[in-house]
Amino acid sequence: MGQFRTVVVIEQNYLIQAGLEAIISELPGMVFQKACLGTENNLSGLLIKQNPDVIIVNPEALTEPATVFLNTLNRQISPIIIGLTDSKAAEHLKSPFTHLLFFSDNKLEIQKKIRDICEPVSDREDKKQVLSKREVDILKEVALGLTNQEIANKLFLSVHTVMTHRKNINKKLGIKTVSGLTMYALMNQLVSMEEMENKQ
Amino acid sequence: MLIDQKMKMADVVLHDPTLVPIINRFGIHLGFGDRTIEEICEEHQLHLQFFVTILNAFHDKLYFPTEQLQSFKASLLIDYLQTAHRYFLDQKTPEIAAMIEKTIQEDEGNKKYYDLIKKFFNEYLEEFSHHIEQEDQVIFPHVLELEKALDSGIINQSLRNKVTLHPIAAYEAEHEDVEAKIFDLKNIIIRYLPTPKNDHLWYQILREIFTLEKELAEHARIEDMILIPKVEAMEKTIRGGK
Repeated sequence: MGQFRTVVVIEQNYLIQAGLEAIISELPGMVFQKACLGTENNLSGLLIKQNPDVIIVNPEALTEPATVFLNTLNRQISPIIIGLTDSKAAEHLKSPFTHLLFFSDNKLEIQKKIRDICEPVSDREDKKQVLSKREVDILKEVALGLTNQEIANKLFLSVHTVMTHRKNINKKLGIKTVSGLTMYALMNQLVSMEEMENKQ
Repeated sequence: MLIDQKMKMADVVLHDPTLVPIINRFGIHLGFGDRTIEEICEEHQLHLQFFVTILNAFHDKLYFPTEQLQSFKASLLIDYLQTAHRYFLDQKTPEIAAMIEKTIQEDEGNKKYYDLIKKFFNEYLEEFSHHIEQEDQVIFPHVLELEKALDSGIINQSLRNKVTLHPIAAYEAEHEDVEAKIFDLKNIIIRYLPTPKNDHLWYQILREIFTLEKELAEHARIEDMILIPKVEAMEKTIRGGK
């Protein structure tokens, strides 16, 4: 969450896995989440559930073609995907990827590549975690105990829009549960104790 | 590091002091002298393989017991899990609640904020106790029934149906919301609440919440990595009609 980025590595060679973990852990804001072998049962399903920010994958570790794998992931989540292969590898191994790490890269090259790919400087500065007016409106209703459908009706929005707003609220505040959001709303006087009591 | 039975208990705890509450749950307390894990287990009449498996599961996130699983009974594991439940409900969470209460008492000016934390924590506790009750009263008895049936070789049709209709795999889904609440609690304290005058107590509360979260995650992992595979194996045998 926030400015931290989680990384999953998919590679069968244990030494390479462990090496990448060490290199990634030295980068600011990068959190190594998990290493996979590529042969796991329903790997893409697992990854979609864990929703990492960055996936570094050796296409040869996968049991399906890289393009199929990437399509499956991109349909559900949108991680940054970096290929991992030999610089002399065949074109069909390299071509599915916009970004590539090579086994022959030294430590500094790997770190520079990952940094350049993952955190454009402007991106870090710009993200102000302030709620928009609309988000505040929705947060109030959530705190008052309304469901997504009820909020949609009341504010003349589609349920889908309400859900998108709620996702953004959760992300901005770092709070996931309704009780947590309610508490935030009370603390910041977005709703009053009286309103809360009246609803029940 | 993998922990094995020939190691000295004291060395293991020096290496990882967070194991102390786990060891206590087995009735073992500090002051080990130079005794090995094996010697201590013998003295306390504990199942050695089981004890070592639990220590490793807590010590190393990636540890996954395989062949050891079959070497001890599910009832042993359930005894352990229930003791752990009592630790969470009777010891750990009341400690945190008492610290929150103390903050409210000491800081009249910001009372309204700390009242909110108290309310939030109580809601969490309610949900958490419910979850634990569910395990203690529904799931664990079911597992014991499975084991008893397999031991005696008498497997009736109703048990066979139960195993087919409601396999154990469906059971861990509800861990999630309980975990999300703890996550929110940390975030609210760190990001949004004013620190009370007694900032040391506040830090203690935060630290205890982190510890609770970690201990719960490990507890859940033991259920997922040891209990569930064991129960799945038993269910498979029963469905197989052996």
